[in-house]
Amino acid sequence: MSCHDCSGQCASKSSSNWLKLPFNKTSSSTNVLATTAEIALVGMPNVGKSVLFNTLTGMYVTVSNYPGTTVEVARGKAVINNQTVAVVDTPGMYSLLPITEEEKVARDLLMQESVNLAIHVVEAKNLGRMLTLTFQLMEAGLPLILAVNMIDEAQRLNIHIDTATLAEKIGIPVVKISAAQGWGINQLKGKIADYVH
Amino acid sequence: MANQLMLNDIKYPQPIEETLAQLEIILSSQVPDLIPKTISQRSWLLLVIQKDAEIWQQLRARIHHYQPIEALIEQTQEELGMPITEAIALSRQRWGMGLEQQVLQESQSDRYQIGERLHQLTVNPITGFPLLIFILYYGVYQFVGNFGAGTLVDLIETFFEERINPVVNEWTATIIPWPVLQDLIANDYGIITLGIRYATAIVLPVVATYFFMFSLLEDTGYLPRLSLMLDRLFKTMGLSGRAVIPIVLGLGCDTMATLVTRTLETKRERIIATFLLSLAVPCAAQWGVIVGLLAQKPAALLLWGLIIGGIFLLAGYLMSRFFPGNIASFYMEIPPLRLPKIKNILVKTFVRMKWYFWEIIPLFIFASVLIWLGRLTGLFDLIVGWLEPIALALELPREVAPVFLYGFFRRDYGAAGLFDIQSQMGLTGNQLLICAVVLTLFLPCIAQFQVMLKEHGTKITMAMVAFIFPFAFFVGYLVSQFLNILRISL
Repeated sequence: MSCHDCSGQCASKSSSNWLKLPFNKTSSSTNVLATTAEIALVGMPNVGKSVLFNTLTGMYVTVSNYPGTTVEVARGKAVINNQTVAVVDTPGMYSLLPITEEEKVARDLLMQESVNLAIHVVEAKNLGRMLTLTFQLMEAGLPLILAVNMIDEAQRLNIHIDTATLAEKIGIPVVKISAAQGWGINQLKGKIADYVH
Repeated sequence: MANQLMLNDIKYPQPIEETLAQLEIILSSQVPDLIPKTISQRSWLLLVIQKDAEIWQQLRARIHHYQPIEALIEQTQEELGMPITEAIALSRQRWGMGLEQQVLQESQSDRYQIGERLHQLTVNPITGFPLLIFILYYGVYQFVGNFGAGTLVDLIETFFEERINPVVNEWTATIIPWPVLQDLIANDYGIITLGIRYATAIVLPVVATYFFMFSLLEDTGYLPRLSLMLDRLFKTMGLSGRAVIPIVLGLGCDTMATLVTRTLETKRERIIATFLLSLAVPCAAQWGVIVGLLAQKPAALLLWGLIIGGIFLLAGYLMSRFFPGNIASFYMEIPPLRLPKIKNILVKTFVRMKWYFWEIIPLFIFASVLIWLGRLTGLFDLIVGWLEPIALALELPREVAPVFLYGFFRRDYGAAGLFDIQSQMGLTGNQLLICAVVLTLFLPCIAQFQVMLKEHGTKITMAMVAFIFPFAFFVGYLVSQFLNILRISL
């Protein structure tokens, strides 16, 4: 089950996947990505992880099934501070104790890859409920940035989040973004740059 | 680092912290290599104490005497008075909500509080159960049962019987010279006069009103809260709160609900839910008839409710005890309570009706063909012959036997048949109760049977049916004996 044999198996067998095979082959030069994701996007389902992922990575993306599962994992490259870093978009997870296959894959990705930085994407208007996962990621000792997404929607609902106080309380960087609108992406990249070597 | 400060604040209830410390000593001496390097030891120990499946697989393979560790965890659980997973989740939720309060400013906090209060009303059993009964009574019984299954069905049925059936009968009579083939298309059990009429006149209004109600409850955010409230009760039956949705759907139409069991996570859960639906969840057509028949006898109605409810719980409990596999766990994201948009509800209702109609139409046509074959070959007369002694053993008149058989193929026949017998012979309260219990425990209809075949395959379906039919009669027999011995007449 180890993910380290991934580079060989990623462009794998599952029948739902064979259509994508040619695409994977053409991007085989990026195979090194498959084993070393430097940045992992983490969060509950439907918080806008994938939108953020697309915004960060642009076009250098491969989508493949996680070995032995039907769960799709997207990997790509982002340019931060003139450096290219590998980014992985983990499947939606509610906690580190997995129930679904998606959650299991997400945890395996975090536990088995050498992640330099996890970006926990949360929805602004459900901040309290989503912080439960932030605590677990902190407990796990992962270097962490909290990205509070859909800040535009929150503002429409008259919800204001004091990110400075939040960052102070939990002791990790907090950035407000709206992945869909492209707001706050530069600030986020700035914070990421502190972690990328 | 500030990070460390916060981490030190994350403390779980005392029993958990103590057990974590003990686990750390045991595991770091026995299996130091299993502790991963990528996540912190504390994080890993928290997964151990929560019985994470993958980690425990590794532990069992490596540690010969893992039972003391399990006992330690059991003991912690007893001290806490709740599952460890729940206690940990609760602590985290409390911190999360506490932090949210400190950093989140809302100019509309009143509205938020109303939402929070409504949320509590729906998930607290003390207010949640009365609310559920209220919704079931007005939303399901009055709206779907009386309006949909009553008024609308009558309207469309009458239209069919007055305008369409006579025309179809006449046409087939002139075009097709052989009465046998005429019966396949028209007359009492024909494809058009029974199958199509059934799908459009009886099923469609019930399903339309039910889907409307269901979409409404879904869009307000009530359903996930109902799941949350019933999760613990459902766990004793090997189901998770998620199964609330198909079970509630089953009160409208079991066939549709069986299709919806697809959404459940494990195969085990899907099978348990399907079994409970077929056995002890009456569809709108079933309880419509039963409530109608028993309306004059409140005591019989109450007994019926208790018997079916009891069987539902008991069957689920036994299935969960003896059916192999793990209890499904459940975590559902709870969306905010919202005022639904009527347009969205109408669109949803329409899309679901369309989906359902095309799934169900072939089944009804097939049922017509089966009835045609059954009557043609004399098989039905034979089965009625077998059923008669059973009816007599249940102390029912022999005229009830065809009701049992035909009721399986066309629900209104079962109902109308019972009403006829009732008005002609005057069934006693006891006999009505027995009929009601047997008919409820039966599979609701042939379409349900076909959907079960489609979803779960021949083997499982046959096993379920082989249990359900004799069991329905057996319970009927028990009820009749029970009433006799206690000399109760309802």
